[in-house]
Amino acid sequence: MARRVVRDIPLNRVEGDLEIRVELEDNRIVDAWSSGTMFRGFENLLVGRGALDGLVVTPRVCGICSTTHLMAAAQALDRIAAVAIPDNAVRLRNLALMTEHCQSDVRQSVLMFLPDFTAETYQAHALYAEAVQRYAPLQGERCIDVVRQTKTLLEIIAILGGQWPHSSFMVPGGVTYAPPVTALNQCRHILTHYRQWYEQRVLGCTLERWQAVQSAAGLDAWLAESAGHRDSDTGFLLRFAREAGLQGLGQGHGNFISYGSLNLPNDSAVAGAQQQLIAAGFVGKDGRTQPFDQALVAEHVAASWYADYPGGRHPFDGETVPQATGAEGRKYSWGKAPRYQEQPAETGPLAERIVGGDPLFCDLLRRDGADLVLRQLARLTRQAALLPAMATWLDEMIARHDQPYYAAVPPLRDGRGYGLVQAARGALGHWVEIAAGKIVRYQIITPTAWNGSPRDGAGVRGPWEQALLGTAIQDIDNPVEAGHVVRSFDPCLVCTVHVVGADRTPWRC
Amino acid sequence: MTSLFWIQCGGCGGDTMSFLNADCPDLTELFATLDIQLLWHPSLSTLPAAAQNELIESLVQGEQPLDILVVEGSIIRGPASTGMFDTRRGHPKKDLVAALAAQARHVVAAGTCAAFGGFGSDGDAESTGLQFLKKEPGGLLGQGFRAASGMPVINLAGCPCHPDVMAGTLAALAGGVPLELDEFNRPLDWFGMTVHQGCTRNEYHEYRVEEWEFAQRGCLFFHMGCHGPLADGPCNKLLWNGRSSKTRAGVPCFGCTSPDFPTSYPFFETRNIEGVPIELPKGISRAHYLVYKGMAAAAAPERLKKRETKI
Repeated sequence: MARRVVRDIPLNRVEGDLEIRVELEDNRIVDAWSSGTMFRGFENLLVGRGALDGLVVTPRVCGICSTTHLMAAAQALDRIAAVAIPDNAVRLRNLALMTEHCQSDVRQSVLMFLPDFTAETYQAHALYAEAVQRYAPLQGERCIDVVRQTKTLLEIIAILGGQWPHSSFMVPGGVTYAPPVTALNQCRHILTHYRQWYEQRVLGCTLERWQAVQSAAGLDAWLAESAGHRDSDTGFLLRFAREAGLQGLGQGHGNFISYGSLNLPNDSAVAGAQQQLIAAGFVGKDGRTQPFDQALVAEHVAASWYADYPGGRHPFDGETVPQATGAEGRKYSWGKAPRYQEQPAETGPLAERIVGGDPLFCDLLRRDGADLVLRQLARLTRQAALLPAMATWLDEMIARHDQPYYAAVPPLRDGRGYGLVQAARGALGHWVEIAAGKIVRYQIITPTAWNGSPRDGAGVRGPWEQALLGTAIQDIDNPVEAGHVVRSFDPCLVCTVHVVGADRTPWRC
Repeated sequence: MTSLFWIQCGGCGGDTMSFLNADCPDLTELFATLDIQLLWHPSLSTLPAAAQNELIESLVQGEQPLDILVVEGSIIRGPASTGMFDTRRGHPKKDLVAALAAQARHVVAAGTCAAFGGFGSDGDAESTGLQFLKKEPGGLLGQGFRAASGMPVINLAGCPCHPDVMAGTLAALAGGVPLELDEFNRPLDWFGMTVHQGCTRNEYHEYRVEEWEFAQRGCLFFHMGCHGPLADGPCNKLLWNGRSSKTRAGVPCFGCTSPDFPTSYPFFETRNIEGVPIELPKGISRAHYLVYKGMAAAAAPERLKKRETKI
């Protein structure tokens, strides 16, 4: 007879607090519930505050992607001000955002995801000793290297915007600082140094060689091609995952969403679809890409600790009344359930690739499905496409350093707007309403709200709840396999807890 | 060997992210050279769930010695003082923090939220700091709390805490070096100066060459909401990421090291009466200040008025 047990798994090496409840049958997960265990109420903090205050408050919602929140907040205010910001401001904002993505992707991979391969579960594994030597917390050779290199890269944001994390250098109309050309040159040197390191140690090849990998067969050939490829973090991820049989594990619903990101300056050598470097769109189970429309986003609270309302609500109409008691067993998270056209969707670097029609990742999706290896590979290699554009934009700023970084805007009085960007973890949206120079509504839907969503009104699981199904757990006291699945989404729980405004309208990150 | 346990409560993780930027020694060197045994850090450790629970039980019982407890994020007490808005395994995290603090040789608040409540202290979360709620002594542990070392909670204010402040404090504690604290229990080595000291816009401030608009070179104190002359902190001495600071990059100082951060006033405006800020630089008499600034503005050299001096 099948043995069914229910276990709660606290999960660390994610940003914030996450507990996963799983139901196991013969050590295989047959159901899962994802619970954000923290609620940060910010009553009277944004609602009633000055029109620009989201630029200071929202970066503080998340210490790991504070620049991304700043970008979303600034874009929402740009929209309210109806201002077209100068090209140099577009470049500077993008460069800072991409810098944040680069460090986040590498830190998450090497400091948070790959250390799972040092778990005792894998002691008998052929690559175990190598995994420990590389990824043991604070001592692994790769961990030490990544701590050193990522903090150096972040100096770019400090030079352009004062500090990382938690600066507020993006404002409606542009940025607060016109960096002198000498400062831009310093950024250029840091970027070149970082790119060389990324190529040598993380990819194991040049960006150009990696970009030439266009198919699943091409990836196999790349791995076989040289010891340098196999010895990189990317190579090790692939080798270990294959050895441990992780392919195919952790597949979600097969829906992907990207809000689109990185607006192109009017005059630039960098090209992209829809005037953005990262395309927007939604890909459903049928594999077709639909254009993204923010009006089709809605949030459910059926399984969230808030007073019920029927169906889903668009963030401009949402409400959040915390209700921690009652409906026991049905409500289990402080996170809400965002849906696009009533469907759950996963977001993040893999979703960006699928929505953008990337040949390698679309081919791997056909072969292996949207598994945890594909998700992590997409994260670790995303910057192969970002770093060249960062260099181009820096060069353009250096060449046009005497052109403006800011276009004056009058004080913001009334209006509503939204800022939609891709954070390191995926789709991030701020929805803002201002009246008489004060914030009257501020709502945020974060990437982890999408990925770590609880069930919606129809009982449909969130993406990583779904992805956990079928996962076999060797040691229930150390369910490292569940850790792989959830960490492959790069969870950021500090971002997903709800924060409630004075009028009980929600905003969250 | 110095044991260290790091717990995150109602925060954003930013103090950890900031600490990862520590330079020379970097994070990994720091722990190695100070012989600090990191028992647990939520973002870095790999201890399995069952072993985590055993460790925490052993710390709370005093079986495993705890030299340094670092708390990041505010202490969430809501709803209605139950603490159930922030739980670990179904129990309020605030109770766990209190139990750990009772066993620790030193208790360190990493960042303004852990020190003073910060974000959430005016809200549903009912957040508080470890030993202060904003400027008021008390907090979670009470005014009389002393760690086993005899020290109160050491408040490393800042949103986030500067990595050198965190690294320097751990080095002092591990090495037995005394730390002198100010009235809010912030170490004077880093909080015995204002953010204004070292700001590259100082000369513009001196002669009252003021800005009303972003992306300019002048002083941000009079109209743009800058708290630099009021806020205690080393931002413009140590610099951030070894490179710059908010004020150098045209971002007003928001006073994030102050116990009452965030205040309820708009961040990008200076509250003023007849064009003179209500909150003046630390310790100055209003009458003297008005005379001084009037004369200074009249004496301002052309190179400053024309914004020729680079910042």
